[in-house]
Amino acid sequence: MVAEKLRDSPTSETVAPSAKIFGGYRTDPGVYDESALGPGNPRPHWRKFISSFEKLGREELAVRWENGRRIIREHGVTYNVYGDPQGMNRPWELDMVPLLIPPDEWRFLETGLTQRAKLFNLILADLYGPQRLLRDGLIPPALVFANPGFLRPCHGLRVPGEIYLHLHAVDLARSPDGQWWVLGDRTQSPSGSGYALENRIVLSRILPDEFRDSQVQRLASFFRIQRDALSQLATGRSNNPNIVLLTPGPHNETYFEHAYLARYLGFTLVEGGDLTVRDCRVFLKTLEGLQPVDVILRRVDDGFCDPLALRSDSFLGVPGLVEATHAGNVSIANALGSGMIESPAFLAFLPGLCRHILGEELKLPSVATWWCGQATEHQYVVDHLDTIVVKSGIATQARPPSFGARLNPLEKETLIAALRARPFDFVGQEQVALSVAPVWWNDQLEPRRISLRAYVAAHGDSYSVMPGGLTRVSPAAGDPIVSMQSGGGSKDTWVLSSGPVAPVSLLTASGQPVSVSRAAAELPSRVADNLFWLGRYVERLENRMRVLRCVIARMADEATSETASELAEMVQLLVRLDILPKRFAGRVRATELQQEILALVYNLQRAGSVRELGLRIRHIISVVRDRFSLDTWSILNQLQSDSRTRPGRIPLANALSLINTLIVDLAAFSGMEMENMTRGHGWRFLDFGRRLERGTNLINILSGTVPPKATSPNLLLEPLLEIADSSMTYRRRYLAQAQLPSVLELLVIDQGNPRSLAFQLSALADHADHLPQYGDAGVENSEQRRLRELTARLAQFNIAELASLNAREQKETLRQWLAEWSTGLSAVSNDLTHHYFSLTIARVS
Amino acid sequence: MNYKITHTTTYNYTDSVSLSHHLLRLTPRELLHQRCLHHDVRIDPEPAVSQRDFDYFGNAVTFLTLEGPHKKLVVKSESHVALAPHLIPAPAETPFWERVRDSSRGQQIGHSLEACEFVFDSPLASASANFAEYAAPSFPRNTPILIAALDLTKRIHVDFKFDPKATTLATPLEEVFKNRRGVCQDFAQFQIACFRSLGLPARYVSGYLETDPPPGKQRFVGTDASHAWVSFYCHGIGWIDVDPTNNVMPAMRHIAIAFGRDYEDVSPVRGVILGAGEHTLKVAVDVAALEEPERPRPNRSA
Repeated sequence: MVAEKLRDSPTSETVAPSAKIFGGYRTDPGVYDESALGPGNPRPHWRKFISSFEKLGREELAVRWENGRRIIREHGVTYNVYGDPQGMNRPWELDMVPLLIPPDEWRFLETGLTQRAKLFNLILADLYGPQRLLRDGLIPPALVFANPGFLRPCHGLRVPGEIYLHLHAVDLARSPDGQWWVLGDRTQSPSGSGYALENRIVLSRILPDEFRDSQVQRLASFFRIQRDALSQLATGRSNNPNIVLLTPGPHNETYFEHAYLARYLGFTLVEGGDLTVRDCRVFLKTLEGLQPVDVILRRVDDGFCDPLALRSDSFLGVPGLVEATHAGNVSIANALGSGMIESPAFLAFLPGLCRHILGEELKLPSVATWWCGQATEHQYVVDHLDTIVVKSGIATQARPPSFGARLNPLEKETLIAALRARPFDFVGQEQVALSVAPVWWNDQLEPRRISLRAYVAAHGDSYSVMPGGLTRVSPAAGDPIVSMQSGGGSKDTWVLSSGPVAPVSLLTASGQPVSVSRAAAELPSRVADNLFWLGRYVERLENRMRVLRCVIARMADEATSETASELAEMVQLLVRLDILPKRFAGRVRATELQQEILALVYNLQRAGSVRELGLRIRHIISVVRDRFSLDTWSILNQLQSDSRTRPGRIPLANALSLINTLIVDLAAFSGMEMENMTRGHGWRFLDFGRRLERGTNLINILSGTVPPKATSPNLLLEPLLEIADSSMTYRRRYLAQAQLPSVLELLVIDQGNPRSLAFQLSALADHADHLPQYGDAGVENSEQRRLRELTARLAQFNIAELASLNAREQKETLRQWLAEWSTGLSAVSNDLTHHYFSLTIARVS
Repeated sequence: MNYKITHTTTYNYTDSVSLSHHLLRLTPRELLHQRCLHHDVRIDPEPAVSQRDFDYFGNAVTFLTLEGPHKKLVVKSESHVALAPHLIPAPAETPFWERVRDSSRGQQIGHSLEACEFVFDSPLASASANFAEYAAPSFPRNTPILIAALDLTKRIHVDFKFDPKATTLATPLEEVFKNRRGVCQDFAQFQIACFRSLGLPARYVSGYLETDPPPGKQRFVGTDASHAWVSFYCHGIGWIDVDPTNNVMPAMRHIAIAFGRDYEDVSPVRGVILGAGEHTLKVAVDVAALEEPERPRPNRSA
């Protein structure tokens, strides 16, 4: 296939095979190509990379490419797309070819970006302070007063060091003449720096030699600067500041990044509900009580940060946050209200503002922007509609951009009327013809439009630029629009250095931070709650799969009379356990049973089906993903992708093999949890959930195994041992057909069997002793008391005595015991929920 | 004329509330014609935090935090206010409304920056073509602004029916306009939106109104509610008040508490509680004149 394609390329006959990859790469005339001056003629700073890239050859590149995609999948790098139910957690698209930027060009960009961040910060400081720029007529009042991002309650708020902007993102594009332009700014809570970092990690791993030889500037120092600058915000309040990253939650498009950055920077990832304001201070609700918070790195839009002082319809914020900021007790980055300056209308006034405020010319020009609130500019936009994009100028979300050239006469008229009615709402902008860069696609290079998002972080009283950035790529070769939301991809950005680069990284080879400053004790209650339920659902899924495997194995077997009667008994057991509907209590046809069993595996709508439980697990994990190592992530992602298989043509066999695969995946997860998870409170809650669920499931199945109508011998004992994964032990120990007393001994009172009730109770008691204490010191809490009593009662469970009873008495006695244990465990669960998780709901009165 | 105002807000919660934060805007403003002689707020239970400050619009605001379980919150505000007569310009001598419009939005804003703040949309009072069309008959070309504004005030008073059941805090202005029903807050925000639709700056005033008892009956204590009216800007004169609910120019009976772009900026008590149950709210306002002269009686507001 590859060779066929190559023959079409005119140069393939004449150039050496190693040069073919780049030799076939073509860009339309008139378009600026980042990599080449003309066909087959790379720009000087690309030559080394291209020759090295070509030396790898297509086959090796395909392997590397696959490898890169695997890393992305395993790390769980995702980007959520709004308005698309399938769009949640879409895998991140990364191209294998980086964007290269030469050192001298970068120095120019760096100066311009630093100046821009300083300027923006000073504009914000004025608008949220004396407003001289308004009085002196340098900014038209509409840009402020009609701006939904201008938060009046935040006017005059205390901002340490007058730093409003801690992180500023600038979208850059290059026009055909090679000049860089600013397309727009992100000053609210700029996204993408975490993706840039992840892109770097992936690319430096799949192209290690190219990365080293190109002398690429490292990103780690930028994040260190950001981390140090945020720590310094707490100066005077705390020597060991508590910094949290506030996220809107897993439904946000860039949630992956929030979790990733929190882990990388060593901050606690929190949602609004994890924080509370008391005595004008912000606290994190943890299991060990309230921990003061000094600095909030926010990824929640500022208007949503405080339902009391700001938008009352917000469920993402912290009531009283504005007041706490006002009291000087917490610092927020970026400062509340800084989003207002993202409005494109500001672009039209920057040159004048820069001269007035900094006394210098604006170094990085913005794309030509006309604010229609001025009569001349308004007229210009109307007269040049064909070459102009009309956008919301102030309220950025108000309407999608209109490309003048693409409008029909009627649409044009409507637009002109809208402009006339509310001119100050609009800007016109010149359309920039974006430059292109080579993208690896279908085993060859093709040109795609690109734009570069650069990041600038506050550093002392100036700013530092990330030496790199997030390069975004248009979704198709001819598409001029670059947007992650509309399906584009991304590239790593290599800023080349003129000398050797010292390796600096906050990460070790496996992608884990070297030192995490997060105190292990700070486990938000919400996270503990989720880990507890993760433990329960993982165990529930495993149990459910073991039960189903037992049934399916007997359905698929050659029907010996023994398996057939075991199957019939199993079906009755499932009815008693409410897994199968009541109608299966009578005679049912095999096909009907098969359909029902398959539904219990595959049907997402069916509560308790394998796939439904898998989805619940996935949901919980997405909420606590910052709590797991990347290796654990890989396993959980494997579990997710495995569980998506379809029944196929031999449905029962496929279901069985799916269940076997998933049981192994779950075992791998449990292994990671046992071997790699720190024995902190997080692990305790996870395991508490698992043990509680395992004990409860065991009791339920035992109850179901003691049927109202006695059969002898009890055909359910063998399946029971299978479900409890204890057949081998049983065989080794008893070398006999299963008997109720010995089964009970193994599954109920054997301390050494990790599947027994005694084992679960002892693990639970140990957890209860080590969870944070909420009552008086030294006084036993109710979980501890209940578990002690349950353990004591279990010791009185006498199997020899039970065996001596007649069948009816035996059953009755066993029922009483089971009921007692069941009540006991559910009381423990309720106590735990009440003491540690009981969530309160914020409501606006 | 002196007034004593008692404004009691009572929240009852079905379940115990563990933490609540509130913002109070209950202090009468200091104005040329209005002085606040005395003001105090009593809160039960005792708040853990009570911070006084001024908001962006210069209104006194108190931030409260109540910590520890409570099932009830009572905020009782008591104020003594002295009112002096307004200086009301002769309507025919006010500038043409177009002049006010043209100097409110343009590039050169100079001293009227304060007015610019109130010419643009706010969350609850946004301009629209419908409102501009409704207001237009009151604003013929070259009409002095106060003549036009009084005509608009009168038309709203006639066209809209006072009906406390028709609207809630969440009723959009377009619906108030469609049904022509609502309370003082709706009428004030509608008139503000009319002004803004014509490019004129207007702001929301929250306050109290003294209401007389029906003839022969005794004054009921605590039956009044807080009131709202409109203030529009006129260059060279300043802010001029109109009350569309009663079709009057506020004077001697209207006591102003707070200014803002709409109700959202000035709500007297606003809070967020942490707790699971339901809540009920009871508001009682009593405005008592400390001397009782005879005057015509305006409608009760809401």
